[in-house]
Amino acid sequence: MRFHRSLHGFVTPLVLIASVALITFLGVLGGDQVKTSLTEMLIRMVVVVGMWVFVGNSGVISFGHVGFMCVGAYAAAWATVDPNWKSIMLTGLPDWLQNGQYPIPFAIMGGAVLAAAVAVLLGGAIMRLSGIAASIATFAFLMIVNSVYSNWDAVTGGTSSIIGIPTVVTPWVAFTLAAGAIFVAYAFKVSRYGLMLRASREDEVAARASAINIVRVRLAAFVLSAAIVGIGGGLWAHFLGVLTADTFYLSLSFITLAMLVVGGLGSLTGAVLGVVVVTIVVEVLRALEGGIALGKITLSLPPGSQEIGLGVVLALIMIFRPSGLTRGREVLWPRRRSPMTEVSTKTATALGPGE
Amino acid sequence: MTAMLALADVEVRYGRLVALRGLSLEVGQGEIVCLIGPNGAGKSTTMAAIAGGVARVAGSIRFEGTELPARKPERIARLGLSLVPEGRHVFGTLTVEENLRIGGYMRPNARESAAALERVAGYFPKLKERWRAPAGRLSGGEQQMLSIGRALMTNPRLVMVDEPSLGLAPLIVDTVYEILLELREREGLTLLINEQSSHRILRFADRIYVIRNGAIQLHGTADELRDGEAIKAAYFGFGASVAQAGAPSGAAA
Amino acid sequence: MINFLQNVIDALSLGSLYALVALGIGLLFGILRLVNFAHGDFITIGAYSLILPSTNVVATMVIGSWHWAVLIPVVCAIVVVVAMATDVFVFRPLRRSSAPTLMIASFAVSYMIQNGVLMMYGARPKAVNLWSALTTQVTIGGLREPVLQIVTIGTTIGLMLVMSLFLKHARWGVQMRAAAEDFLMAQYLGVRGNFVIGLAFAVSGILAAAVSLLFLAQTGALSNVMGVPLALFAFVAVVVGGMGSLPGAVVGGFLVGIVTTMLQAYLPPDLRVFRDAFTFTFVIVVLLVRPAGLIPSRSIAERV
Repeated sequence: MRFHRSLHGFVTPLVLIASVALITFLGVLGGDQVKTSLTEMLIRMVVVVGMWVFVGNSGVISFGHVGFMCVGAYAAAWATVDPNWKSIMLTGLPDWLQNGQYPIPFAIMGGAVLAAAVAVLLGGAIMRLSGIAASIATFAFLMIVNSVYSNWDAVTGGTSSIIGIPTVVTPWVAFTLAAGAIFVAYAFKVSRYGLMLRASREDEVAARASAINIVRVRLAAFVLSAAIVGIGGGLWAHFLGVLTADTFYLSLSFITLAMLVVGGLGSLTGAVLGVVVVTIVVEVLRALEGGIALGKITLSLPPGSQEIGLGVVLALIMIFRPSGLTRGREVLWPRRRSPMTEVSTKTATALGPGE
Repeated sequence: MTAMLALADVEVRYGRLVALRGLSLEVGQGEIVCLIGPNGAGKSTTMAAIAGGVARVAGSIRFEGTELPARKPERIARLGLSLVPEGRHVFGTLTVEENLRIGGYMRPNARESAAALERVAGYFPKLKERWRAPAGRLSGGEQQMLSIGRALMTNPRLVMVDEPSLGLAPLIVDTVYEILLELREREGLTLLINEQSSHRILRFADRIYVIRNGAIQLHGTADELRDGEAIKAAYFGFGASVAQAGAPSGAAA
Repeated sequence: MINFLQNVIDALSLGSLYALVALGIGLLFGILRLVNFAHGDFITIGAYSLILPSTNVVATMVIGSWHWAVLIPVVCAIVVVVAMATDVFVFRPLRRSSAPTLMIASFAVSYMIQNGVLMMYGARPKAVNLWSALTTQVTIGGLREPVLQIVTIGTTIGLMLVMSLFLKHARWGVQMRAAAEDFLMAQYLGVRGNFVIGLAFAVSGILAAAVSLLFLAQTGALSNVMGVPLALFAFVAVVVGGMGSLPGAVVGGFLVGIVTTMLQAYLPPDLRVFRDAFTFTFVIVVLLVRPAGLIPSRSIAERV
């Protein structure tokens, strides 16, 4: 018991990271298809955990975080693509980017910094808006990013893609960053800023009364959140090897939000669990779309079932379990009579069918 | 005689906050009953619970013998029970006339609704003067009149008025109460009124309940409580002796 | 000068489409605090309802080949049914949810409709020819205008008049305005909440159907995401005009139509491709300067 208490502050991220490590370990034993899905899931985990830093703590829904992913992905790609190709296709880049080629970790960090810088500008403007107005502003931000990145031919290649990005992101690379994101997100949650932000989510008036500068606290979360999501973007670029601005638009925004809501906005555990559960749902539906042989007959769902299925799952969760699978609670030490045992076992069973 | 409105052991919670803890009270046909208590005691919650505005966790609310459904405000309004909420809640962008008409729409036919509009306007000559003005432009007193008039349009037998004196000048408050008394005389209305202070109430009410911490602390006729000492004690919660003295407490009803 | 006038008419025609979409979105926002992403997809459904469901590349008109006097009410009915169904199955169970929750739910509905259309009609855009007679041009004092633009502007003005008469005088209209302003209070006065909301979905469905026909006649192309950009610009319009204010939505719609048309016409060619970025920056600026919009709705401002 005493042991438990001394570890208390670390239990949630440790359990989460260990669970994700287990999934990764089991996943890499699988075939290429499984590894691809696994890596994709881990990168999305970085993104969703990054989103959660802002959305989960502040309670303000952001539709624009995929925009930060776009910013991070392109920035990282600018730094690592072959200079010969850049000199032909991306003539608008500054010399040092156009002619240079930089180490990938450095490039991804650069992407994070650029995303954070954009977040400072945007957030500085919109953080004083409340609730739905802020949500709509983040939405407008997504539109702006999409419009700029799909049309600024000299810098982004416009509607033609950036190709030839080195594909170096393996499941374990993605896992490492996902683990890092989980750790940072948790550290933020239990930090003074995280506490103040969550206080403002519970009761804005009371938080203001207790002299919390909501705008500043929200902005800090927004910037940190954008940086993590930016890293997710960089990983994405170096996983796929190809970038198109339309990847980072409504559909991805929807999927990442769905992941947050399914798991439960209120907890980091929810963000992680949501990514895993939604990925499993989507993968199962995708497999069904591909067709399942039953004896001589192949049964398959029509294309589009995947997306509709995800929509249905999300709607059902919102209606029947509005605070998500975790009900806003964090995973604790999986021991008997712990209030989170229920969720821990869910995590465990949820992992099963995915492999 | 069974009461027109009877609440028994009503419990309401907002999240973890318990707003009403086993509240019971009764209102008889033709009575003016007053609920007084400090801010946050549960007065408005009581009325909202009766009118179907909040979910109740436990207990029963019966009106004229039928159990009222929880969270079905529009059905409750149709049973003849109307609420004049705290802060008036007039539809600010609608005209005075439209505000009144809203209440009349559930009457069976247009002619009856028009007649009701005529009659209600008769009680509030001031409103008649501002007939086409947006309700948001009226003074506080006029809005209070409008809110009462609008409640009358629904053809109620019992009207609940939540803090009619809130934010109004004393002179206007007197007018409001005179109108409420007149309505009882002429329309045969039963009234349940919330107030924070007791001095005016003692003149108008037949019976008084003192509520604190989500439960009835004291209850008696206006005559019994005339001197105001028992009310004061119950209101501020001085000691256990008061609770004993507070004759038929909530649980007994 | 002629050129400028031409642009003005283009702007009004585009603006009236945006105004109609914004009105549909603004109506639901006013009553439900629902920012309805799926409104654009109601438009998509209206357009697709004209053709035979099949994944063939070539579209076969069914309802689309009927006489307009039959076609219009049928398309309206289809979209109204879909709109009301989303209410019954998704939004009604979420009545007591927060505005952001509703926003995500409508995002989900939108996503499902888009992919449902994809499933039934295939992924490739299809060409259809609706009311080609309307694309002929008329010359008015040196201005050559497609009849369609005039029809669009006329339809919009007509629909807005009908709607304002309805809201002003019909008993259901007055109830809708009351519910939009203070939903619980309206219920306390016996207004049937779910009925009024259903009605609002129906009205927004009719508006969406009108837009789908006008828009399709203009573009002649079907795609499963065709309604999305319309809805996105209409959001801008609703926000700019003042959330929950119907006159605001209309003014915002025209303003956005005018701004985008004029940016398209007068931005230097290099920047023209970023037109949408400018438009959406405009939204953020409006939100910052006037968070309640140009024609704020007092009641909504209090509730948001």
